[in-house]
Order: sequence, then C-alpha cells, then structure tokens
Amino acid sequence: MPKLMLGNEAVARGAWEARAAFGSGYPGTPSTEILEALSTYPDVTVQWAPNEKVGYEVCMGASLAGVRALVTMKHVGLNVAADPFFSSSYMGVNGGLVVVSADDPGMASSQDEQDNRSMARAAKVLMVEPYDAEEARWMTREAFALSERFDSPVLVRMTTRVCHHTGVVHPAERAEWASKGFIKDIPKYVLLPSHARLRRAKVGERLEKALAFAEQSDLWNPIFKGSSEIGVITSGVSFGYVRETMPEASVLKLGITNPLPMERIRAFAKTVKRLVVVEELEPYVEEAVRAAGLAVEGRSLLPDTGELNLPLVEKALLGNAQDQITVDMAGVKVPGRPPTLCPGCSHRGIFTLFRDMKLRVMGDIGCYTLGALKPLAAMDACMCMGASVGMAEGLEMFGGPKEKGKTVGVIGDSTFFHSGIPGLIDMIVHGSHATLVILDNRWTAMTGGQPHPGTGKDIHGADAPRLNVAEVCRALGVKRVREVDPYDLEATRAALEEELAAPEVSVVVAVAPCLLGGRIPKGEPVSIDLDLCNRCGACIRVGCMAIHEKDGFPDVDPDLCGGCGVCEQVCEPGAIVLPSGK
Amino acid sequence: MEITNILFAGVGGQGILTSSRILALAAVHAGLDVKMSEVHGMAQRGGNVDTHVRIGHKVPSSLIPEGAAHFVVAFEKLEALRYMHFLRPGGTAFVCPQEIHPLALNLRKDESYVKDVDAVLRAHAPNLVWVDAVSMAKEAGDLRMVNVILLGALSTRLSMKEEDWEAAIRERFSAKVQEACLASFKRGIAYVSAPV
Repeated sequence: MPKLMLGNEAVARGAWEARAAFGSGYPGTPSTEILEALSTYPDVTVQWAPNEKVGYEVCMGASLAGVRALVTMKHVGLNVAADPFFSSSYMGVNGGLVVVSADDPGMASSQDEQDNRSMARAAKVLMVEPYDAEEARWMTREAFALSERFDSPVLVRMTTRVCHHTGVVHPAERAEWASKGFIKDIPKYVLLPSHARLRRAKVGERLEKALAFAEQSDLWNPIFKGSSEIGVITSGVSFGYVRETMPEASVLKLGITNPLPMERIRAFAKTVKRLVVVEELEPYVEEAVRAAGLAVEGRSLLPDTGELNLPLVEKALLGNAQDQITVDMAGVKVPGRPPTLCPGCSHRGIFTLFRDMKLRVMGDIGCYTLGALKPLAAMDACMCMGASVGMAEGLEMFGGPKEKGKTVGVIGDSTFFHSGIPGLIDMIVHGSHATLVILDNRWTAMTGGQPHPGTGKDIHGADAPRLNVAEVCRALGVKRVREVDPYDLEATRAALEEELAAPEVSVVVAVAPCLLGGRIPKGEPVSIDLDLCNRCGACIRVGCMAIHEKDGFPDVDPDLCGGCGVCEQVCEPGAIVLPSGK
Repeated sequence: MEITNILFAGVGGQGILTSSRILALAAVHAGLDVKMSEVHGMAQRGGNVDTHVRIGHKVPSSLIPEGAAHFVVAFEKLEALRYMHFLRPGGTAFVCPQEIHPLALNLRKDESYVKDVDAVLRAHAPNLVWVDAVSMAKEAGDLRMVNVILLGALSTRLSMKEEDWEAAIRERFSAKVQEACLASFKRGIAYVSAPV
C-alpha cells in the first residue's frame, strides 16, 4: 500500500527497513524531522545529541559495536562534525554508518548555502543523492549495505526541497540483518599516524572498488535513453525538473555522486550531440566532467546560487521560458510578512532592553536571531552556532572605550550546550569583562521544540536528566552568575547594568519556557485605554504581531495576545491595561 | 492527464500544512501520483507560508511555477494578493476573507496592510471565490475547521470523489473530531455549490 511521506520521514523509514539500531544528531532545518520520525518506530534507539560532532561520535561507537547507525544534521552541522567525519573515513565501519547532510540551497533557514558534495569528495566518503521521497527511502536503506560493502561511512546528501516535499512512498519489508559484535582491530581503528598511513591506502582501494560498482550500476546511475540531440547529466531534485521540462531528452541520473562514474559519463556523452549538467549550487559534476576532457555546458546556463525550478531549467534546456504570468500585480505593493518572535515570546523583553540600553550585541543561532530585525534591530552580528561567546570576548577586548561595559553575547540554552561552553571557558581563563546572556527557554525552539540537555526530557517526551544552565556556568568558574525573569523588564535591566559594569566575566540567565506548541496555555489579552494613549508608539516598537495600528492608535488582537505584559511595561502613560489578576 | 497545480497561501499556524496533506492524501486514495512542497523552520514564525500540491498520473517535481497554478487557496487576504501571480489563465482563487496584520513598524504611518484590499483583490483576480470559512467555522463552534471548509470548496473543482476526501480526512484526524471535520467539509461543498 503506497504511503504519503515527507522526504525526511522516508529517510527514517529507509533506516528502519535497514534495521538501523540507533539514530542520533542535532536538530537543524531542513533535517530535523528525520530523527523525530525514526523515534516513532519500534526496535530503534533515537537520541538528540548536544551537537553534531557528539551525535556522529556516538553513532561511530554504535557502528564499532556492530550495529547500523544513522546520524542526521543540516549542512552547517557537518562542519561541526567534520572532524569525526573525515577521520572515520580512514577507520571505515563495522556496522553500517549513514550520515545525512540536509543542504539548504536558497538559504530558506540557514546562514549559508554550502554544497556538501564537496565535503564527501574531500573526506573520500561515498555519497548518494535521492531525488524524491521514494528514493530517500530506498537509497537510505541501501546506503547501509554500501557502507558495509565498501567499509566507508556513506553520506546521504539531501536538500531542502527533497527533505520537505511530500510524495508517494512504497514501504518494503525490513531487511534481514544481524550485528556482528565488536571486532578488535587496532591498526584499523586507532588512527596513530603509522596506522593512518596504512589506512589511507585502504581508502584509495575502497574508492576504486566503489567506483567500479558505480560504473556498472543501472540501479544507482540509470540512463534514460531519448533523443541523441541532447543528453543531460543530473542528480537529486534537479532530475524532476529535467524530466518534466524535456521528457524526450537522454538523461544520465546520478544516484551515486562520489565517486563519480566517469567512464559511464563518457559513454553517455558519446551517444548525444550536446551534453548539459543540471545541478544546484556548485558545478560539482560539471567541473569533473570538464576535467575529464568532455565538452559540457552547465553553469553557463544556470545560476550557481539558490534553488533550481522548472522555469530556470526550461530556460536552460529550451532557451525559451515562457512569460506565463497573466495576473498583472504591477502597482500593487504587498507589504512583507517577515518571520518574527511569537506574541508572548520571552525574548522580546530582552531585545527591547538591548535596544533601549544601546548595547553592542553579538548574537547566535536560534529564534532570537529575529531580534536583529526591525523594529527591535538589537543584534550586531550573528555567524554560527556558539559564536556569540567568542565574538563578544574579542569585540569587548579590542572595541576600545566605546564598547567597554556595553558588549554582550546572547545565546540560547540549546546553542549554549551545543558549542557555547568552550567559548565561555575562554572568557573565564582570559579574564574577559564581557557579559554573556543565556536565554534559557528549555527547548530547541526554532526547529520546533526539540529537547536538549537542559530540558529534562528525551525525544519521546519521557523524563531525562536535566542540566541547569546557571549551575554549569558556576561549575566552570564564573563567579557572577544570576538568573532573571525576562518578563520583568525593570529587574532584568538592573541585572544587566550591574553585570555590564562588573570588571569580570558575568552570566545572566534569562529563564522562561518557550510558549510554542501550546505547552503553556495562552493568557488573557491586554487592553488599551485610548483616552490615556499618547500615540508615542513604544508598544509598537516592541515588535509584537498582536499589536497593530488602527486609525492612528495601537490596537490589540485578542486572539494573538496572551498578556505577557512587555508592552505594558514600556507604556509610559499607562494606557495598556493588564488582564485582571496579573 | 495534465498535472493539476494547487497553491495554498497563508500565515504560519493557520493550518496550511494540514490542508495540503489532506489534499495529497485524497489524491493517493484516488490512485493518483502527488508531490507537495512545504515550508518548515524560520519562515513559520509568523511569516507567510505557501505550500505547493501537484496532482496527476505522474508528477516529476514538486514546485509550481509562477503563472501555472490552477487554483490558489488563500487563508488570508494579504497572502491572496501576494500569491495571485501564481494563477494561470483561467485559474480560480478561493479566498478566506480574513485579515492578519503583519508586524507594524510604526504607529503614525503604518503601511503594514493594503488599503481597500477587497477591491484590489477583485480587480486582479479574474475568478475569485470568497469563502468565509472563519464565520462558518465559528458557527460550527470550532475555529480549527477553517481548513476543511476551504478544502470542501476546493474539492468541487477537482477530480477526486467524495469518498477519497472522506478517507483522507479520516486518516488525518483523530476519531474524536472526524465527524465534525466531515460535516465542515460538506459545508464547504454546499457553500460554493449553492445557487447565487
């Protein structure tokens, strides 16, 4: 019976069919739903790790123990896990080890759009690329077998549009498979330089064998024979656009994209007059084909940034994308609707204070990055997971008197556990005067509310040990650690002023759980006494969707407002009235 | 069979994903191929959300090009305007007359909503069907019914049979709300089928 599945759900299904015993990873759009889906199957242990590196390493341990393991992450997560990724390539595996990298062309939810196909090539790791949900299922399933057969981790390279499209999947029975148990092999698994040099030779042999397999595999690298006028080499999501745009074209669809089956490509090229590569982002396949001495087009026809789509591929292959747009919206200016902190979010008060106190704010990755958007505009830099801490230290050190006593790093609790702790250690041992604000809302919120080490829950929602953020900071050696209620603006402001003035490292932990997913019932809305309102706009400038302008006055949407009281505290004439009893 | 393209538009949290999934499930129950594309992550925080559903005997890709949607189903008027250019010639827009204000930046000269949005919509959508699903859902006593009411209206223009839709709704919703959802779905059908 065919089933409708999200691409990510299909990856989980494939892993379960392959009898993976373990799944780990760190949440990150567009990869998050894979482990969530895997956790709904029986006979498989699934855990969120504090970061991708740890998730990868636990999976490596599981592989060494002899079972099949799946580790998932977004593309930038593979940067965090790059160390074990590259080294595990030399070790090879015992039980199959499959790594999912969910790349994000177009940066729908990311800070960059790196193409992780280059990572697989650099690490000399086998790579497969599904194009839709059904392929995500069977390719993940078979990736475990490839991993064991070629003694390599296998990278399943997904992209946003493959992860987050839903399609028809044909589930299969589970594979027969049993653990071999741990096999002691010191030269293979202990990467001393003398062992590593031997392993490097094995990596070369393994890639040769995998290449021979990829060259002859009609299943993984099928050829769709068509017109001899044009031949298209493609992989991943682009295959769909090619087939739909030019059903008559000859197509070589690459399911295995490392190693690249160049003899197969060469043979295919001989059957067509014109050879075109259709791929998203980097000219990964195209450059290899050109380096092999074949005449090929690709980037000359298509952009090297963003997602592809039907019109782009039509224009590239047919040269005549029709201007189909018939509803002429010229002259109608539709206001943007950028993402924003939820009404009632505990971050709003903090960023209102940052703005009003004119602080220099080094930000981090999470919902609170939205504090950089108008009307809050209270963040000055945001780079990658955990970076707020080190950047605050460096900026405070060299910013001169202007930044002294004004610099904060702001980081979420999940991000703090992910990679903020080493930065804080650096601040401590080097006597930084910067202040770190940790937003402790108990969940990994941006990706939809996954538990982290400070949540006290596991992926199934069962109770788990909980690390306390403030206690962790104290244990590291921070003397000035204090917890504040971020809904109390006056007390939070006082705490920030004191800690910024202190000539040593200090941490302010803002504790208030995330409201997402109805974990906390919505409260009664505030109301506005228009007779008292002086139309100063301070309430609008806290940036809440529940307040908008109506006939020149602020107006509260009672369906959205939960009466958090942030706007009430910034209202000088006292026109905003809290619900009774608050 | 030509591929039928349906684009859903609205604001994060309005039930756009659920609606698209039910439509896709109904297509599977009718023995058709379907691909849909969705939005997760940062955009969902109060931002505009669109999902693309493509139905046919064989659907190779999941994104609807601009100017190629047979139907735009909008849960909010501003979002109807934002995605109107996706309609193809002769395409139909089903619009729920609801206004959700984007984040205002300024009190004095707020431009966060299109003035006279109804007239602008009427002027730009050749085939516009208003479906006041919010009022109907309120009458039915459950605001969450907005999405099945809109689906009921849409279903009158698609090839899937009522039993395919019923199976999809039963698959998607718990037994507790199934009957209410089916009743609301039928209200949506009746609403657009009634003679003017």
